[in-house]
Amino acid sequence: MKIKVVESVLKANDAVARENRRRFDAAGVLAVNLMSAPGSGKTALLERTLAGLGPDVRSAVVVGDLQTTRDAERLQNAAQQVVQINTGTGCHLTATQVAEALESLDLQGLHYLFIENVGNLVCPAGFDLGEHVRVALLSTPEGDDKVAKYPTLFLCADTILLTKMDLAAALDYRRARVYEDISRINPRAPVMELSCRTGEGVDRWLTWLNEERRRRIQ
Amino acid sequence: MHEMAIASALVEQLARIARENNATRITAAEVHCGILRQVVPEALELAFAAASAESPAAGAVLKIVEQPIVARCRSCQRIFEAAVDNFLCPACQTADVELLAGQDIILQTVTLETSDERTS
Repeated sequence: MKIKVVESVLKANDAVARENRRRFDAAGVLAVNLMSAPGSGKTALLERTLAGLGPDVRSAVVVGDLQTTRDAERLQNAAQQVVQINTGTGCHLTATQVAEALESLDLQGLHYLFIENVGNLVCPAGFDLGEHVRVALLSTPEGDDKVAKYPTLFLCADTILLTKMDLAAALDYRRARVYEDISRINPRAPVMELSCRTGEGVDRWLTWLNEERRRRIQ
Repeated sequence: MHEMAIASALVEQLARIARENNATRITAAEVHCGILRQVVPEALELAFAAASAESPAAGAVLKIVEQPIVARCRSCQRIFEAAVDNFLCPACQTADVELLAGQDIILQTVTLETSDERTS
């Protein structure tokens, strides 16, 4: 017997993601999903961000990696609460893994929850975690051709951060190529150039975060 | 390799559908994959075979149909098929679009076997 179903295969993940989002909304915390290739500077960005937000802003971080607690250890003193998720062979975080991490977090009184996804330019884009905003990072050493090569991650981003810009000159990085590719894929996303080493662009990023929180959290 | 996560979700979904329909076995399933999901059909087939081994969907034939990206231009309302790396509207050359198709993974049909069918 053949039956018609027409149902999303990721329906279960999406239902958990909706519940996560409801919890973030209820607690008044902006959930930020950071996505990029490994080594593009997600943890360095978080170190800068947490320091830049100042002592009056309370943040928690959920870090996803295949192995080790190295990122959680790096961020331990910078954020109020840090939870490390080891995905083993999993190349992205799922809504259920984030829901499990929330069990050991106290969301009340938090301003931001940063979710550092597993370093991967393909898989994280397909899984809603319940976040409010998606941030895609692309570092200069990865090359100026990656937006067109891995478009889906940049397509679904609310903002695109070009990181390690202090290395741009040494790498003959062609900014124009990156901007042109983004204009064909996701012209709505603001693009920000950053260097966590020099601090370039960090203020603009913090302002954007603050505005997103004001806009999305009642 | 997000195909494994997709295959696991599909196997759970099929097991639920088998229960709901009092089916003993799932023999075939058709899944439509939006191109934006970047699913490699061979990888999904392999992952599905592994993930379904101990389930009612073990041995089921998986048909994977790739779905093109369909977008609507927010400026001129034109509906067009976009490429994965190019969302420019062919009429007005802006990429400010609303996605209508190409980003979902949908289980379309399931072929199942019930115990009644077997005895008849």
